[in-house]
Amino acid sequence: MKTKIYLFLLLLTVGNAAFAQEQKMSDAEIAAFKQDVNVVSKKIKTLSTDFVQYKHLDFLSKDIETSGKMIFKEPNMLQWQYKKPYNYSIVFKNGKILINDEGKKSAVDIGNSKIFGRINKLIVGSVSGNMFDDKEFTISYFKVKGQNLAKFIPKDATLKKYIKQIELTFDKEEATVVQVKLLESSEDYTRIVLKNKVINAKIDDSVFTN
Amino acid sequence: MQKSTIQYLLINCVLAIVLISCGPVTKNYSPKKLDKTSYEAPYFSNPKTDYVYKTNITVYGNEMSGIFIAKKINDSIHRVVFTTEFGNKLLDFEISDKSFKVNSIVSELDRKILINTLRDDFRLLLKKEYLIQEQFENESDNIYKSADGNRDNYLFLSKKDQKLEKVIHASKTKEKITLTFSSENNIFAEKIEIIHQNIKLKIEFNYFKSE
Repeated sequence: MKTKIYLFLLLLTVGNAAFAQEQKMSDAEIAAFKQDVNVVSKKIKTLSTDFVQYKHLDFLSKDIETSGKMIFKEPNMLQWQYKKPYNYSIVFKNGKILINDEGKKSAVDIGNSKIFGRINKLIVGSVSGNMFDDKEFTISYFKVKGQNLAKFIPKDATLKKYIKQIELTFDKEEATVVQVKLLESSEDYTRIVLKNKVINAKIDDSVFTN
Repeated sequence: MQKSTIQYLLINCVLAIVLISCGPVTKNYSPKKLDKTSYEAPYFSNPKTDYVYKTNITVYGNEMSGIFIAKKINDSIHRVVFTTEFGNKLLDFEISDKSFKVNSIVSELDRKILINTLRDDFRLLLKKEYLIQEQFENESDNIYKSADGNRDNYLFLSKKDQKLEKVIHASKTKEKITLTFSSENNIFAEKIEIIHQNIKLKIEFNYFKSE
């Protein structure tokens, strides 16, 4: 019996060592990390980035991959533009959502859709990294080889139904978001990798028409 | 005497209804001798394939779009998931000819009538085995009639290359749902449409390959 327990503990430790990439931050590290991100995200007036989205569903043999460009301009104009394998663009602007689906256009009033308003706030917060003051989440902080990781768990039951957890991965040096992971359950998630980020280039308002 | 007259009238009425009702779906087609008694639809049958489609739903003038994902998870069951372009799951079903399970659905879509409609549509879309009772033809297609509960499915196979091009789901009197398939190789459908005749509902599927 004792050997079994030892064996179990050994396995557990070995297992832990294998997954040792994630390490909890100390309070001091958390404070420093938040400070770094806040300094950078306060400077962001515009941001454009390429993205690749991987939709992972446990029962599929391969993730569903889509890609495009994301453009953000202060205070709250945002465009997600999927270019491959289809053209689909969604603009969040002045309380409205404008959709262009392969040339087919439509508009939604966020005013009528609380959940869309929240999603908008989430996306902007995720990409700029400025979500640490959000009272709607329980946040935990980790270090992963050369990167920092913040995990956000929604407190609100309605939001929790859609998103179980959000994970933002930050480049340690630049203190900007390099990956957004939205977990729907332990098996199913959407992972968005951001690359070729350009901060504070001049972006005209007309970009946010659809 | 009177009783048998009523019976006679009733039988006549029933016969008349049957004769009239045979009309609408097959009236433009000529009957033909059966050349097969069963048919296997190819389009969603490979358990190794992830079937992923960009999808547009038009219901009473309202548009909704997203990603339709289907995968055969065992001999009889398909897992079907519909997500937004962002990847949020809107619904997650498990469907076979006889069974149906809702794994999840967002509250906005959680309406019995909608779920039942989608269940029936997806079941028809994913259906593989058909037993054939009658055969017809028109200029371009061989048409196979297969009973489906108290309704029938009419399968249109092109004479040219034996591709499944259309399935009409019909009651004895009326066409209810039409599915059309565009396929290059008769293994895989690149474009699919589901059109309802009795409600204003149309679902369009366009296959997309991940990068």
